[in-house]
Amino acid sequence: MASTSEIKKGVVIRDPQGLWVVNEFQHINPGKGAAFVRTRIKNLQSGKTLETTFKTSETIDLVEVEHRRMQYLYHDATGHTFMDQSTYDQVTMSDADVGTDGKYLREGMDINVTTYEGQPIALELPRKMTFKVTESMDATGGNTVSGGNMTKEVTVEGGIKVHVPLFIKQGEDIIINTENGEYVERA
Amino acid sequence: MNMSQEFIRARSRVVQLVRRYFDEQSFLELHTPRLVGLPGQEPYLEPMWTEIVEDVTRSTYQAALITSPEYAMKRMLAAGFDKIYDLGPCFRNAEPWDGSHDPEFLMAEWYEKGIGLSELMDRTEAMVKYVVRNMEHGALRLDDNAFRRITVEQAMKEYAGVELGPLLGDKEKMASVCREHGQTVSETDSWDDLFFKIFLSEVELKLGEVPTFLTHYPASMAALAQKDPNDTRYALRTELYIGALELANGFVELTDVEEQRKRFEEEQELRRSLGKETWSIDERFMGVLPKMGQAAGIAFGVDRLAMLLSGTSSISDLMPIPVRERF
Repeated sequence: MASTSEIKKGVVIRDPQGLWVVNEFQHINPGKGAAFVRTRIKNLQSGKTLETTFKTSETIDLVEVEHRRMQYLYHDATGHTFMDQSTYDQVTMSDADVGTDGKYLREGMDINVTTYEGQPIALELPRKMTFKVTESMDATGGNTVSGGNMTKEVTVEGGIKVHVPLFIKQGEDIIINTENGEYVERA
Repeated sequence: MNMSQEFIRARSRVVQLVRRYFDEQSFLELHTPRLVGLPGQEPYLEPMWTEIVEDVTRSTYQAALITSPEYAMKRMLAAGFDKIYDLGPCFRNAEPWDGSHDPEFLMAEWYEKGIGLSELMDRTEAMVKYVVRNMEHGALRLDDNAFRRITVEQAMKEYAGVELGPLLGDKEKMASVCREHGQTVSETDSWDDLFFKIFLSEVELKLGEVPTFLTHYPASMAALAQKDPNDTRYALRTELYIGALELANGFVELTDVEEQRKRFEEEQELRRSLGKETWSIDERFMGVLPKMGQAAGIAFGVDRLAMLLSGTSSISDLMPIPVRERF
């Protein structure tokens, strides 16, 4: 059994419903209650996703997975294809399994792929990636958001849309947090 | 000017505006002690301990940095002050350095005599709107709508589809609802733990889409709040959520000495069962509690408001020296 401190993206948890890969996680310390780890997990058999929260003192059953260095080759109708750089084996992950990570992939990039029994189950994207802003409207009135941050939407390489502070301009490089898709800072 | 300077300036400006609001509203700023003998003993907050030496007699005293100025502020209410605030650093150990926490952070805490939960929320909303309105180039814009007010019971129903009333205090029923919602349930989970598994998975993230006060917590989470006289299953407690952040936690303050002692003893018991250190109940605080009178107060995370106003998701951006560069 393992501690909840080992929960991170790509780890696989076994419970009576089967095997679940962790797609998202966040440690929470509300102060008013115990500390928790909030996760979004996906069942490897049924594909069902679930938001579930573990108390940090709980133990969990972690399944051994492999981390293989691969090169991203291409995207086609079957999904995203990667090549293991040591064995030259090619593996394909469906669009559904890659999920929102797919938009950060660039052909030729090196990436760690988590595999379970030879099958790819999760990508380990760099947490921060740099992208050039390709489209940005100048800040004007009408950006007001009720109860949210004052931001505007820009498009960066790969067609990714991201909310950024108003001072970001077209042509600038910005850093995006691939865990939540949010703007981090100017590169 | 680079980004980090903008963030640091924004934080200073927020502090200035919070102070200006309370000064204009005739609150007295108190500079209560940071270092005390007996800090707050909430089961899930960890004070930082040190030892003080008095040089002439070489006496030593155990001391802790405050996790909030609550006890001192209430003693000042008992001493006759009726509209008071404190704005300064508070210290909490054993928290994640994850962007929304720093072991040393700025908190504003204020108390007002003779008001209830609704007026406490009015005051909090007015303060936030004042700061937002007066902040130049602030990243947070608010419309004129009143902040939403929703009870924990309503929120659990609306976002998680859970009818809380019949589950209150019933651990077995709560555990079975948790299982239906795909949560793990372990032997050691308390009712509150089970509640939080659903609340944190399905409710909390959606709360702050518009600024929202979450009110009337189950009585088991009353902390230092009075129970609602109209429905004692719930406590007169409120928290403010804006965006993904919880900004404030306030109570209609408990003044019943017996009830207060019972809750402190329960908190000590819980700390012991969690394998945590305990310390004596602050009898100086208990001694003046009957003189405090009816009051409501709230602890407000000033740094978190500054994060919203400067448009950063990391408290470290606001700190002149971020936590990971200090230790």
